[in-house]
This record gives sequence, structure tokens and C-alpha cells, in this order.
Amino acid sequence: MTDKDSTADERECGADVAAYALGALDPEEAAAFVRHLDACTVCRDELASFQQVVNALPMTAPPHRASPRLRRRVLRAVASEPRGAGASGLSPRPRRMPGWLSSRPAVSLAAVLVLAVVVFAGVRLTSSTGDLTRVVPAQVTGRGTAELRITQGRGELVVNRLSPPPPGEIYEVWIKRAHGSPAPTSALFSVTAGGSANIGVPGNLNGVAVVMVTPEPAGGSRAPTHPAVIVARLA
Amino acid sequence: MALVRDGDARAFEVVFDRHADAAFSLAYRMCGRRNAAEDLVQEAFLSLWRSGARYDRARGSVRSWVLGVVRNRTIDHFRREAVHTSRDVSDDGVAERIPSPDDTVTEVQRRDDASEIRGALRALPADQRHVIELAYFGGFSHSQIADMLKLPTGTVKGRMRLGLTKMRMELGDTFGSMREVSQ
Repeated sequence: MTDKDSTADERECGADVAAYALGALDPEEAAAFVRHLDACTVCRDELASFQQVVNALPMTAPPHRASPRLRRRVLRAVASEPRGAGASGLSPRPRRMPGWLSSRPAVSLAAVLVLAVVVFAGVRLTSSTGDLTRVVPAQVTGRGTAELRITQGRGELVVNRLSPPPPGEIYEVWIKRAHGSPAPTSALFSVTAGGSANIGVPGNLNGVAVVMVTPEPAGGSRAPTHPAVIVARLA
Repeated sequence: MALVRDGDARAFEVVFDRHADAAFSLAYRMCGRRNAAEDLVQEAFLSLWRSGARYDRARGSVRSWVLGVVRNRTIDHFRREAVHTSRDVSDDGVAERIPSPDDTVTEVQRRDDASEIRGALRALPADQRHVIELAYFGGFSHSQIADMLKLPTGTVKGRMRLGLTKMRMELGDTFGSMREVSQ
């Protein structure tokens, strides 16, 4: 115990090891415990032994097979999101104004006026993620709200207080260009108990006129079989 | 994982196939709803795809990494929803149970190890097992558990420690002989 933190006796620090290994310390306690670990070999050794047990705990969960539907969803999403594009589209970026907006005061003023017009037209622009994000309110049939957030051509549909899909069905996201039929995406989702969900819309939304959501049989459909419950008009 | 790090979707598919059942089982055990579990596993794997470069072999197996991400995502989900009602899933849940062994030697080994680990958890006194399950699968902090069970926080921590110590002693040989179950 000679190399131990002199401010904490063995009983005190040892009491936190198991809770820390289980991720059950409150954040401030965890931070203090991590600092203590630097000075306490006894706790480090005990933590290593507990960590082995904790790492094995997932194996006590009753085993279930991941469904083929889940596999399809994940692999389709991965296919639609090449690593380079995915990483760059999701990582926080330094906040900056586009060159066309910042180059000259007169141009900037004109741009601000244009943006104001766009806002009045029902589309908001925000920069909370570091990039300009276009926020498109969506029409929802029935209960709930939805909006589509578009950053650098990539869309995220945010829904709140939406009713869950009917039993045995799931919500499917579709994209529609100006002169085409709705095209299915890999985005299938349900909502939480509170009716919320954040769904990444696969692919780039440049040229897309409408993003819509319909309830579909579990596994999704190739063409909509129900009227849309969410419609976000981009054009 | 090096291929996944380089953005190889086929390599990612292999990783998914190898760990998806364990990931889904954990998420389903934690949240108790099939749809939510699938959403969480999808989120977790997509985040792994986007952050493949962050996997550090020195810090554990791929499976531990995957399951750690699934657990963190699920706990984030709990916190977002503040839904801390009972999430226990009975063994006859609606999800398809994995059929009996017909797989590789590795899978058989994994099932044997899992059976021993389940046995060690079941063998704990109920009060110790309960606090461990609430913390690990429920994502509750020791102070939340203490509130829930109307116990002093020291008692909750003590039960966690006793339970993990007993499991560690019980599973000493299993851990010693465990092949990389988590690979």
C-alpha cells in the first residue's frame, strides 16, 4: 500500500472499483476514481480482474438471432455511405461562412436578405453543427411533428410525438425527384415510446424534390403501399 | 479491422455477421423491445463503420469493442427517453432464439463459455445479482439503484463488489482457458 494515494484508505477506494467497472459511478465520482487509479496499484489490479468479468456479462444475455431485415438495413446503409463521405458528412467541422457569403460586405448583405426570404418561405437555415443546415418543416398526417435537416446534401429526418407504425409494420423513408416515382431507401424505422426518432436519409439529396415516409410491412416495400404520413418538400 | 478502417464494405460485412447476434442479444436484453434493439444495433454498427479507425486492438477484442458501443448507445437511448421502467426480457421473448449448436468449433466454445458465465451470474445471491444487472443492463448509476431499492449507496457498491468478486473466483478457470471468445 506504500504506493497508494495517501488521502484515501484502501476501504474507501476499493469500494468504488466494482461500481466503476460496471459504469455505475456518477461522472464526478468516476473522474475522481480515474485520478486515484494513477496512484493505486491495488485498485488497478482489482479493476483489471473485475473488467474481465464485466466484459463477459453480455454473454449472459439470452441469445437471439439478428434478423435478416436488420442485416439488410445495416449493409444497405453502409453501401450508401462510403467511408469518406460518411466520415466527412458527420464529423463536426470548423464553423465558417461560405466564401460567397463572406467575401464582400455588399454581397453578404444581399445574401442575408436572400436567406431571410427563404426563412419566410418556411425553410430555416441554421449553423449549429458547424455547417449551414437547411431545416425543412414537414407535413405530418395525424399526430406529431417532423422536420428534415439537410447539411451538405445529407438529410436527417427528426420526428417527435409521432404515432408508432401499425402492428407488424414499419416506417419507410422514400425520396422523390421532380419527375419520378418515390424511390425506396434503406431507412426503415420505428419511433420511441415518446414518438421520436432521428433517421439519416441515405444518399445525397441534391435534386430530390420530396422526402416522404409511409408505413409499410416489416422489411419495407419496393413501392409505397400506404399514403404518406410525413412529407417534406424540398423544391 | 484494418480493411474496415480503410473503408472496405465487404470486410465490414464480415464483422457484422460475426458480431450481430451478440450485439442484438445485448441490445434486446437491455431495452426489451425488438424494434428499438434493431434500431440501436443499426446505429451502433453505422457508428462503427464511420469510426473504424478508432478501434485499438491493444484495448480489447473486436467483440468487446462492438458490444461496448452497443451498450453505450443503448444507455444513451435510455437517457434520451428517460424510460427507466422494467426492461427485463423473458427467455420466451418475441425475437428468434438462436438455434442449437450447428456451427464452428469457435461458436461451440463461445456457447460453452457463455453457459458458464450465465451459471456464475445465476449462482450469485439475488441481491448481488440484481444490482449488477441493474447497473450493467439497465445503465443505472449506483445512486439511482440505491434510490430505487431504498438502500444506502455503500450497500449497493458493496453488493456490486461482492458479486463481481464471486464471479471472478467462480470463472477463474473459464477465463484462463477462454479462447478469444470475443474476437
